[in-house]
Amino acid sequence: MGAWEFYAIVLLVYLGTDLLAAWGLNLEFGVAGIANLAFIVTIAAGAYAYAIFTIGPPAASGSFQEYVGGFNLPFPVAIAAGAVAGAAAGIVIGITGLKRLRQDYQAMAMLVVSLMAATIVSADTPFLNGNAGLVILSTFAPFSDQDPEFQRWAYVGIVLLACIGGYFVLRRFTTGPIGRTLRAMRDDELAAQAIGKDIVGLRLMVQGVGGAFGGLSGALLVAFISGWSPSAWAYVETLALLTAVIVGGMGNDRGVSFGMLLIGIVILQGVQFLNDVPVLKSIEEQLNRTALTQDLGWIVLGTLTIVFIWLRPQGIFPERRPKYGGKPS
Amino acid sequence: MQLLIEAIGFGIAAGAVLALGAVGFSVQFGMSNILNITYGSLMTLAAYIGLFAIDRGVNPWAALALAGIAVGIASVALHRWLLAPLARRGTRPFAIVIVTVSAGIVLQYVIVAVAGPDAQSYGEQSGQTFHLLGMIMSASQVTIIVLATVLMLGLHLLLTRTTLGRAMRATSSNRILAQSCGIDTDLISDVAWLISGALCGAAGVALAITTVSFDFSIGPIFLIPMIAAAVLGGIGQPYGAMVGGLVVGIATELAAAFSNPAYSEVVAFGILIVMLLVRPRGLFGAAWATRRLMA
Repeated sequence: MGAWEFYAIVLLVYLGTDLLAAWGLNLEFGVAGIANLAFIVTIAAGAYAYAIFTIGPPAASGSFQEYVGGFNLPFPVAIAAGAVAGAAAGIVIGITGLKRLRQDYQAMAMLVVSLMAATIVSADTPFLNGNAGLVILSTFAPFSDQDPEFQRWAYVGIVLLACIGGYFVLRRFTTGPIGRTLRAMRDDELAAQAIGKDIVGLRLMVQGVGGAFGGLSGALLVAFISGWSPSAWAYVETLALLTAVIVGGMGNDRGVSFGMLLIGIVILQGVQFLNDVPVLKSIEEQLNRTALTQDLGWIVLGTLTIVFIWLRPQGIFPERRPKYGGKPS
Repeated sequence: MQLLIEAIGFGIAAGAVLALGAVGFSVQFGMSNILNITYGSLMTLAAYIGLFAIDRGVNPWAALALAGIAVGIASVALHRWLLAPLARRGTRPFAIVIVTVSAGIVLQYVIVAVAGPDAQSYGEQSGQTFHLLGMIMSASQVTIIVLATVLMLGLHLLLTRTTLGRAMRATSSNRILAQSCGIDTDLISDVAWLISGALCGAAGVALAITTVSFDFSIGPIFLIPMIAAAVLGGIGQPYGAMVGGLVVGIATELAAAFSNPAYSEVVAFGILIVMLLVRPRGLFGAAWATRRLMA
């Protein structure tokens, strides 16, 4: 398998899992107006759940990692466990956000929740192997009896199926009566409550469904990259997702998908190729810094967010407001 | 018992640094109603500016003053040319917070690109240790406590005895009313951000002095305990932030002494979450101040 072919597979898998995550965050933030800066925790929950469901008990793997669980269950079960774990994490996060605080305060509370989760997992080694993270030792499931090339393309197919299924589920929540109710909750919570919408129930449901998307994304990703540690879910990762949602266009699926393509693939992967640009190479040597392109990626991302909030907060593809035809009588 | 007293001693020293930072953060929120998350990366900037100066032989305390001035100017620039225009346009508070988070990330990675990701240090701090009521503290810790006390006292005198201070309190309390009294609120905001930015810079260098080694994440790591201190005391209230800093500092050190040290950060996070959920106006916040916090 050529290097480019392998890279194309990696890009497709990343794109697929990023899309699922972006759809989940868009459901929570773009459509329902919940400023969930702890979204990355649902992705991490899905990844860890997949890991502990799919590998064997700690003793079997030579005891070099400590963790709870280790059920050695097949791929579909572990993936489902990831989605459920994500949903559970989402609901727990949602409970902390129920107090009627200003949106930026709520966002800060959720940011702190995600930092707390990262600290607790890092510190408590017997839980999920602490800072070192978990490594999935079993052979690359599924289709482990086929040759590697088929395996990898088959995995792209699995991610594609997950995305198609996920998109159908997403549309059920972002369109129709539920979609309108969520947008009403976003635009004016008090008015929505006044006409009898159950705000608490809606918020928890949205955080559960969004969390399930996140958990599924995390589970699919970790099955591919075979390892997961606290450094993979630093709080900056949520910002990458948030940038995709803001730049692409909040509240609509097409915008967010485009935003994710732009941010996740074009920018975060594209900067790797800038390594060969002579100007950057000489700057790199001067500053004695080898990972300059990675830093550049984050700098571009941050700047892009600021520029878009300044110039075009509705994003590249703004949400289409419904127009009701006819003159009022 | 000895451990308890020592932990309290460490807590006071840590609390002094937290108080410095928390007061600056609180003043910024009180003046402009903005949760300025860039504050963390600005502290990192101060630490690295201090490093730059100290490596060239400047005395650490002069470096602290230098970094304070530099970050004060940076803060004014940030507020005047990025945050204030957004706020004037009616951008939602959450979007402004996202802007400050993004600006913090941009600043952080520029620092990483220039200075590298490795841990840095200000070098060995020589000096005698002091024994005070059973607490053991190094010379730099004592100096920082004294410095923090002097700065807090200075701020108190500024706010209560000078016309500028009265104008600052008026603008913080009710901007429109202050404008109708003839106060140039834009200028007063700039001054407030300069002063709080200077405190941010001082806190950043103080952090670098008290920790053995630091890297580019030092600012954001200590920002959360500072926000916890500010919220605990009542956000927008400088005096509350001073008390909050001490409380968070001592609580964190007690937790580190009597249970798993890795969990000591969780104490600060926990204080913040509990305060936000149970009593957002903090211990000393006035009841009317809650209208700024509620949706």
